[in-house]
Amino acid sequence: MKQMRQETLRRIISLVLLIVLTVVFTLTTDTFLSWDNITSMLREAAFIGLIAIGVTTCIITGGNNLSGGLAVGMCCMIFAHLYHYTAMSLIAIVLLSLLGGLLSGLFNGFVVAILQVPDFVATLSTGMIFQGITYVLAVRNQYGSITSEMIKNPTMAALGGRLPNGIYYVTIVWLILTVVMQIFLKKTKMGTYIYAMGANRKSAEYSGISFIKVKMVAFTIAGFMSFVAAMFTLGRNGTCDVNTGTALNLQAISAAVIGGAAFSGGRGDMIGTLIGVLFMQVLRNGVLKFNMTTAQQSIISGTIIVLMLVFDAYYNEFMQKRTTRAAALAREKENAGK
Amino acid sequence: MSEKNELLFEMKNIEKIFAHVHALDHVNFDVRKGEVHALLGENGAGKSTLIKILTGVYSKDGGQIFMDGKEIEINSREDAAEAGIAVIFQELSLVPTLSVYQNILLGKETSKFGFISDASEKKQIQELIDRYGFPVKATDIVETLSVAQKQMVEILKALATEAKLIIMDEPTASLSSRESELLYKIINQLRDRGVSIIYISHRLEEVFNLSDRITILRDGKNAGVIEKENIVPSEVVKMMIGKEISESTASRALHTSDAETELEVKNLTHLGYYYDVSFQVKKGEVLVLTGLVGSGRTEVVRSIYGADPFDKGEIIFEGKPIKPTIKKSVANGFGLIPEDRRTQGFSPLLTVTGNVALTSYDKIAKGGFVNKKDEDALGRKAVELTDLRPANPNVQVGNLSGGNQQKAVLGKWLTRDLKVVLIDEPTVGIDIGAKDEIYNIIEDLASKGVAVLMVSSDIAEVLRVAHRIIVMREGRIIKEFNNGVATQEDILLASSGFVNETKEAA
Repeated sequence: MKQMRQETLRRIISLVLLIVLTVVFTLTTDTFLSWDNITSMLREAAFIGLIAIGVTTCIITGGNNLSGGLAVGMCCMIFAHLYHYTAMSLIAIVLLSLLGGLLSGLFNGFVVAILQVPDFVATLSTGMIFQGITYVLAVRNQYGSITSEMIKNPTMAALGGRLPNGIYYVTIVWLILTVVMQIFLKKTKMGTYIYAMGANRKSAEYSGISFIKVKMVAFTIAGFMSFVAAMFTLGRNGTCDVNTGTALNLQAISAAVIGGAAFSGGRGDMIGTLIGVLFMQVLRNGVLKFNMTTAQQSIISGTIIVLMLVFDAYYNEFMQKRTTRAAALAREKENAGK
Repeated sequence: MSEKNELLFEMKNIEKIFAHVHALDHVNFDVRKGEVHALLGENGAGKSTLIKILTGVYSKDGGQIFMDGKEIEINSREDAAEAGIAVIFQELSLVPTLSVYQNILLGKETSKFGFISDASEKKQIQELIDRYGFPVKATDIVETLSVAQKQMVEILKALATEAKLIIMDEPTASLSSRESELLYKIINQLRDRGVSIIYISHRLEEVFNLSDRITILRDGKNAGVIEKENIVPSEVVKMMIGKEISESTASRALHTSDAETELEVKNLTHLGYYYDVSFQVKKGEVLVLTGLVGSGRTEVVRSIYGADPFDKGEIIFEGKPIKPTIKKSVANGFGLIPEDRRTQGFSPLLTVTGNVALTSYDKIAKGGFVNKKDEDALGRKAVELTDLRPANPNVQVGNLSGGNQQKAVLGKWLTRDLKVVLIDEPTVGIDIGAKDEIYNIIEDLASKGVAVLMVSSDIAEVLRVAHRIIVMREGRIIKEFNNGVATQEDILLASSGFVNETKEAA
């Protein structure tokens, strides 16, 4: 008998959870499965999803990224700052925001790969730096206090729009990037290296794969995703304030974990994370319709994540013990038969 | 035949010195094309140092290395790989979440614009697998494979780099006997295809069956090279041990047989680890379980202590059957000196006193508060009892030498009133002077009436401290000796599966 892989089982569990939750909410509320509700859920999901793409990539390398949401805020504020204080063209402003996103990733990569700081604490601290920069760049009124900047640009406003059938542009971009990243992870050299580095760093390095390069690539992808999320945030809200993006990161990590990414590295993919993101969003939306508080919702998603992590921690060890035992029993029988 | 005797690889007068110790002293070693060449020697004979030199982990301090007649320098893993040398690691170095073909080609993928040419790679690797008839598929994910299959992937990885010389270090250590048979077949196949293999194993039986030649090292020097047709097991063992030592067997008087039995184990079985293990330890007796690593010795001791479960059998302590848990064991006066003291024996950041106190908070703490005076007294007592150097109970244990660290671990238990002490490989990595002191401590314990159950692979040590010796092999007791009857050869032969060649115990 062949052991079922942790990934496969996790994929099934998260999919079942998603379906159960959807069925429950559909049966108990009348508005849950309405087209309006679906499109708006998919819009909210897209923001978590974009950050989750970057987070998942970092988790697969055996690391993590706690700074993705704060980098969104920083990209937004770079845009707002230049929009308010300079006369630059829109293209120039967007490109400089993009540069900000990519640099945030490269900086994370530098701290993690070259300075050798563990991912978790490294990105916790760089996140604080990004948030600090957001405050420094914040637009202020004549008394010096921070105001939220209105972005009255039609092109940006259009980014917040949707197709005639109601699906938002941000959802489409999120789904396209999910597919692109899935292909990148599964079909390219660098994708394979990202898995190899996360699952067994020594073996990857002995095969001539550079730790620095892999980490740089993963964090730069995360930085790029923060930039994309930032532009659509501006499109949706039409404003930018210092708190933009702060809540996104934890939800993105939750989604990645529910979707099967393991903190030990080497596991997880974009399809799993897609399921995880949908799960988080359905839960959020459904409990709102049940008039549950966000606190209750946190308790539910937190509990599920703990259970998933417990599963990750024990599954492989448990299966291995079982296999050893089964083999020993089989050998006993063989000997007894002789 | 002349072609078969052609040399592939040669090491001449290799020297390696670690801190004034000659780990390798003018060692010569060569391998012919298409030959299985075994490297034998006891622990510390220099085998692993030699292998590390030829794989580029260490650099040699003297001597020459030749490949295909040309002198080469090996200073890194890359150098070794370039010369066509590959190692099948004991602890496997594969990426568990990738497929077989991805693992084999890791870092050497063919690609267009960064996209891997998947289909052609799968085909190429499947062809390689089929050529050797290994029971794995190119697309299998490595973590779903058995240990034996993973090893095959390692071998394929070596073959894919067109390695001419493959080093196998204890390849059968974690394989079942059927899996081992398959490995032997594969090794023979590789030999027939002209690949040379350096084979290292403690299992003499398989070494004798597989090898075309055997090189024996002892104390960092060449002790002999034997062709297949000249192999006589007892002769080989003599060469490994060295005659002088073999004859001066330090023996101890048998323990007085009228002492009470303190601990008894009846038909103890933990499926997959050990089977039908029965023995008694009397008060004041030192019983040593020996045998190869993986023969189930440590697992028996851990079950007795309550650190691991068991399936069948009985553990009887002072005439009453017990179901041990660690907590009960400590309360019953059991002590465990574990195999790996660094990870299981002591806490490096705590002081000697801090470590010693860990086992005695029931005595020195009242209502949750530790009595500092009692704690300090305990630390001083431990230092005194074990003759720890420096004689300061306030030193962090992590800063002590290996021998003194072990004394601190012993101190954890010596300060309690022990009835049974379980000791697992007490002197690994400890210098000779400190070893003797630790033996003295063990003997002291026994003379005070403590029942000592010890696990050791070091045969000289076994003969030094044991009253009785039990040899385990593949989870079963296969031989029991009273000390004074056994010699080093007897024990080594029994451990390796040559039971019939040993003298009968009296």
